[in-house]
Amino acid sequence: MIRTNVLNKAVKGEQLRFLLRGKSLSNPRFKSTAASPDEVKHFQELAPTWWDTNGSQRILHKMNLARMDFIRDTLSDTIKVKDPNVFIPGYNYNEFFPEGISRTVDSELKQTINSELQKKQFNVLDIGCGGGILAESMARQPFVKHVLGIDLTEDCISVAKHHAKLDPVLDGKVEYDGVALEDVKTKDYDIITCFEMLEHVDKPGDILQHAWKRLAPNGVLFLSTINRDPVSWFTTIFMGETVLKIVPPGTHHLSKYINSSEIVEWFEKKHPKNYKLLNLKGTMYIPTQGWVNHDCTRIGNYFMAVKKLR
Amino acid sequence: MFSRSFQALSKRYLATAAKSSGPKTTDVLIVGGGPAGLTLATAIKTSPILSGMRTTLVDGQNLTERVANFYDNPPAEFTNRVVSLTPKSKKFLTETLGVPLMHDRIQSYDGLYVIDGMTDARMALDHDGMLDMIEILNIQASLLHRLNHLNLEKDSFEIKEEVKVTNIESSVKGDPQSWTIVSLSNGEQYKTRLLVGADGFNSPVKKFSGITTRGWPYDTFGMVATLKLNQLSPFAKLRGWQRFLKTGPIAHLPLPGNNATLVWSTKGNDLSQLLCQMDPKVFSALVNAAFILDDADLDYYYKVLGENPNDAATNERVIDDIKDRIEQVWDALKDDSLIDERYPPQVVDIVDKTRARFPLKLSHADIYCSDRIALVGDAAHTTHPLAGQGLNMGQHDVEELTKALEKGTLRGLDIGSMLCLEPFWAECYPFNNVRLGMADKLHKLYGTDFGPVVQLRSLGLQITDNLGAVKSMLIDTLTAGAAK
Repeated sequence: MIRTNVLNKAVKGEQLRFLLRGKSLSNPRFKSTAASPDEVKHFQELAPTWWDTNGSQRILHKMNLARMDFIRDTLSDTIKVKDPNVFIPGYNYNEFFPEGISRTVDSELKQTINSELQKKQFNVLDIGCGGGILAESMARQPFVKHVLGIDLTEDCISVAKHHAKLDPVLDGKVEYDGVALEDVKTKDYDIITCFEMLEHVDKPGDILQHAWKRLAPNGVLFLSTINRDPVSWFTTIFMGETVLKIVPPGTHHLSKYINSSEIVEWFEKKHPKNYKLLNLKGTMYIPTQGWVNHDCTRIGNYFMAVKKLR
Repeated sequence: MFSRSFQALSKRYLATAAKSSGPKTTDVLIVGGGPAGLTLATAIKTSPILSGMRTTLVDGQNLTERVANFYDNPPAEFTNRVVSLTPKSKKFLTETLGVPLMHDRIQSYDGLYVIDGMTDARMALDHDGMLDMIEILNIQASLLHRLNHLNLEKDSFEIKEEVKVTNIESSVKGDPQSWTIVSLSNGEQYKTRLLVGADGFNSPVKKFSGITTRGWPYDTFGMVATLKLNQLSPFAKLRGWQRFLKTGPIAHLPLPGNNATLVWSTKGNDLSQLLCQMDPKVFSALVNAAFILDDADLDYYYKVLGENPNDAATNERVIDDIKDRIEQVWDALKDDSLIDERYPPQVVDIVDKTRARFPLKLSHADIYCSDRIALVGDAAHTTHPLAGQGLNMGQHDVEELTKALEKGTLRGLDIGSMLCLEPFWAECYPFNNVRLGMADKLHKLYGTDFGPVVQLRSLGLQITDNLGAVKSMLIDTLTAGAAK
């Protein structure tokens, strides 16, 4: 749990101003959730190699594993197992039962959660889907009914569309569209995902606002971005792009990074009493192990899940 | 050769394929119904996460009648293909997969007694229930029994038996990430998300994948036989016995009752051929001799028997001579109880037609997976049987592959993608490399009669025998750590 009151009040205003930078222009033809032409161009160049898991996007493919773990963990935690034959609340069965029995309890518990989850049949919107790495993984989940992936880089959309056709399981479960978020008509998505995206747009506050509007009551918004701190600069830009070259150069700009506390602050200001922070985890890349989730949420990359109340 | 023969075949089957509705699709196609292939099929079908995957298993043998029948109508005598099962493998089979092994045909034993034939250096590795000896047919038939009792729809799991794989190709030419199309000798085609090669050393799946293999032949034949023992002394320990002779290691491992199984490795072609073809009575006597007498004595017997093949008088003479010399060795012992302590139970006969030989080699695939492909068991690695690790490495492969597929499925990955398969080989390769290396080094260490090396290895064996910690480490490796 993050406690917003630990924030230094003196810098609050500064942070909010940052998040709300570039308020919508009055020009009706300009989409406030649009990416800048530079960003679009950058991702256009990456599009052809998007699905090469050994290529320039390998680290993103690896990160997707951690995202999916985060999503599953968060959603599983929302399932309350009521059957007393399966779950013994507050009882540390691992301590007291022989290994075989506690393993059976564990696996039955997991199975119950999975089958409960499966009944939900979520409708998912993936903002900034790129080549569809997350959208495909979500569409394969038995608890997901349908995924719409949107992205403003047309080349990514065509890569994503092409790749989805390669797996018959995805048939009818995933769709892609090159529309801006504010043009998405549906307003009751159960899950909206916005991974590694806020740091690529000029007005992240608008993205959050439009996403929130399209979330059904009790829906969950999953997002991830990077804290604006020297460690992030060192890992994601200096090491990632310049030294190790495991991230395509020009992918990141430190000034666009957003602190996890700023996002919480934004919700507190814009939708007080209407949101619940479900889960917040830091995530870091360890070369031999891939992305590892941790509890230090103020440094480097992080994942966040926010539930819309009522 | 493989590709030419299937070209002819595929032309013939093209017409049939065109008429039918095209290749059937399946999520996992397993080539090979040996222990590794059948274990993988059972692991997938009993996993709550993976059981929904359409699975097809292809094998050249008749599995569902001939092999499965072993479960309901087991033969009176033990078959000759016997392996040691580590506690870890046994736990995976019986507890995780719920396979009801035929327990009356398994022998658990409590230690290994290792002897250097040239110097008589000895080491006793004792641990209760250290390993189990089990027939390969027992494992296969029990797995088939388990699969059968899952009552799966044909759509969920299917065995295609008595067919061979005639061709493997990517569905989109030149794109290894596209699904794989496998053609069978009965004209059927399968389009699969993941193709698993559990098809042994000469794996067609491995050939198709282009995965390279490192290793070397040992110029050594392994020979197996089922032994009949004389009445066991009630004080005899249930042990595996292994003696390193100049010509290679010989191992005598217990089976239930007065049965045992033999693995005898010998250098070159001639000696193993001689051993396979000689009179069973002489052979039985030679097995006894091999555990008790000197290399020089054995050399003499090989020479005499080689010069007078199947000559009744020579056979008689050799048998008598062996008896005499063994008596002499026993008489020289301080105390009769040492006979049971130092030497395995005496062999009186062998079960008819159980002698068989096969060339030994070390091989290790550089990687166990590529896009759409995974290799398990002997397709990925073959080893010298002296450490009893071959089957267990295959079981470990299957366990790790299953875990990788489960994790990948929970993460919404395509299970045929490298992203999903990588953790499997990352986990297995070092595990297997230790065991392959260990068997290989032991083979080489004991394959020499160079004086200083022999002295050193004997010293090493004696020291190891006296160091509890090193011994338990060795036991730990041999039993895959589950013997704690």
